Amino acid sequence: MYLDSFLDARDICVNPDIQNKEQAYSMLVDLICRNHKLPICGEDLLQRLLQRDAEAPTAYPSGIAIPHIRMDDFDDILVAMMFLPQPLMFGTTKVSWVVLIITDKTSSKIYLNLVAALMALSKDTASVQALTTAEDAHAAFSIIKKLGISIKIDLYVADIMNINTVTIPPEATLRELIRLMGMHSLAGLPVVDETGLFVGEVNILSLLKVGIPEYLTRMDNLDFLVSFEPLERLLEQQDELQVKDIMTLQPIILKPETSIMEAVSEMIKHDKRYMSVVKDNKLMGVVTAKDIFHKVIQA
Amino acid sequence: MTIMMLITLFVFVMTYIFIIMEWMNKMLAAMIGGFLIVLTGIIHQQDALMAVDWNVIFFLIGMMLVISVLKKTGVFMYIAIRTAKIARGKPIVIMTLMFVITAVLSAFLGSVTTVMILVPIVLLICGELKITPIPFIITMAIASNMGGTATMVGDPPNIMIGSATDYTFMDFLFNLTPPVVIITSVSVAMIWLMYRNKMKVSMQNRARLLSYREDTLITDKKLLLRSSIVLLLMLIALILQSVLKIETATIAMTAGLSLLLMSNRNQVENVLINDVDWVTIFFFIGLFMIVESLVVTGFIDIMAKGIIDASGGRPKTASMLILWLSGALSAIIDNVPFVAAMIPMVQKMSTYINNPTAMHPIWWSLSLGTCLGGNGTLVGASANIVAVGIASRNGFRISFRQFTQIGIIFTFNSLLISSVYLLVRYF
Repeated sequence: MYLDSFLDARDICVNPDIQNKEQAYSMLVDLICRNHKLPICGEDLLQRLLQRDAEAPTAYPSGIAIPHIRMDDFDDILVAMMFLPQPLMFGTTKVSWVVLIITDKTSSKIYLNLVAALMALSKDTASVQALTTAEDAHAAFSIIKKLGISIKIDLYVADIMNINTVTIPPEATLRELIRLMGMHSLAGLPVVDETGLFVGEVNILSLLKVGIPEYLTRMDNLDFLVSFEPLERLLEQQDELQVKDIMTLQPIILKPETSIMEAVSEMIKHDKRYMSVVKDNKLMGVVTAKDIFHKVIQA
Repeated sequence: MTIMMLITLFVFVMTYIFIIMEWMNKMLAAMIGGFLIVLTGIIHQQDALMAVDWNVIFFLIGMMLVISVLKKTGVFMYIAIRTAKIARGKPIVIMTLMFVITAVLSAFLGSVTTVMILVPIVLLICGELKITPIPFIITMAIASNMGGTATMVGDPPNIMIGSATDYTFMDFLFNLTPPVVIITSVSVAMIWLMYRNKMKVSMQNRARLLSYREDTLITDKKLLLRSSIVLLLMLIALILQSVLKIETATIAMTAGLSLLLMSNRNQVENVLINDVDWVTIFFFIGLFMIVESLVVTGFIDIMAKGIIDASGGRPKTASMLILWLSGALSAIIDNVPFVAAMIPMVQKMSTYINNPTAMHPIWWSLSLGTCLGGNGTLVGASANIVAVGIASRNGFRISFRQFTQIGIIFTFNSLLISSVYLLVRYF
């Protein structure tokens, strides 16, 4: 993937008429909010930027400043740039190039690689010179495009997995499982014992299976069973049966360092939309097919 | 005894022990044995592969295709549920009717398939009636082995015997169906006596069963009609086999392939992967290869001579010996590997007896002994293992002893009736 793939000439600003950092940020916020739909925008976004900047400065000695915001309810990576022929002082650092990056909460890997590429470019004085003196946004864009800067995007499961996941102990009753699944609207969850060890998974189908005798699954057609009380067995046994009675032992799992391609291929191969990420028998997180769709395909 | 013979004996015995003790998947054991005899140079690969009875192999594949389509029509489930309703939910009536249906279906579909279709339905019916399904399952497994004996296309040993000899479908029907009908009828009477007063059902539970709408089971009437026609044509072809001069495998494959074409063509790949039991197919192939090594090295000849000597060369004694020996041994050994080794032996015997007419009862003894002997113990026939397996997955454990206690009575009775039948009809 190339740096210019994340860019749009509309989001580039050349030779603006500004005097300080606040104005620079304000202008970038205006630019990005005009061109894209964001959950947080305008003054709110500017305040968050400045607040973050106060906590940790974003300007680097090579003359680039990279303010960054992670946003909730947002699945994309947006990059806006501003080139300053007359460098501005950001605190004590002289800055001639400001890059605003907005990402979602999880795509940190791409963000980090993007920053790494920008940092490398900012040290290339000839290119920076050309960019800061570019005639207009389109000229700047085509310079970046011509440079062909590639962004490493080898993503791993660890980069996109959900860390704070709901788990259930093996001794929990099915009633608790039903409550938990309903509350978080989950179709499956990892089973973790009191010492934090990953012991298996339960999913909605293993739960429903309690209500259906095995012999019924051997029949091709169950339409004749009009009076069979569906799933009455499940409700009868929800206080007696425990998660460990129905859980899948040794499910197909992923390691944090598994590549996304491998994760997708495992999901397809085993028709599993939900995978636990386990390292040394400890649950690290979970990855769902939806995560891959949102964070990789749509990113 | 040469070194070759020692190797052959070792491979043969080890393979059969692995199969009997279930130390290994039986197909894997048969395949390893089959190629070991090639690898050790006992027979050439060419000869080992030539020994495979492709008529049996393709007959089995063809029947698996036929059954996979027929099963989808829902007709078997329809029959089973209709039967339970006709019995008005009376357990002993259901049990005896199921016994008969299992036997009849097994005669045409094979025992394992029949049990796989009917046992889940009986579990459902017993669940609704709130009675234990265990006696039903044991008696149905027994019925399936009896029914399978009746025709050439029923139990695999019969297919193998039919393929190795000149006997046609009609020969089997004339010679084996009569004793099986007698055995089944006597068995039904035995069941009636054994279980008549054992099961009680409440009216409420009976009502649940009677509310089943079995008419919804047949969803594709067109497919049912077409497959009935194909099945009928297949039966006619089998009956006219001696006139038409078409071999069984070709008949079964023609029926199977035409049904496959008529059903959902998009599911062909699914049928080939899931409904053709390749494990069984390759199990048979391995067995044919191993047994060929016994023929080549002369073991079969030694065994045949032994039987001839033991019976003093009298067909009557030989026939009884084969019947009871097969009955006893196939109660312990899966009847397919058993009959695979017995067939070349009986063929060899015919060179010593040298009287084709006198050989007939010996072949029928082999079939009756092998097929009916499968009821002797839980591990005697695949149908028993499958039936008990399905029951155990649904929480009904049937122990080896529990099965054998009932099975042995029926086996002894079957072999006794078979003996009388053979003696009266052929000697």
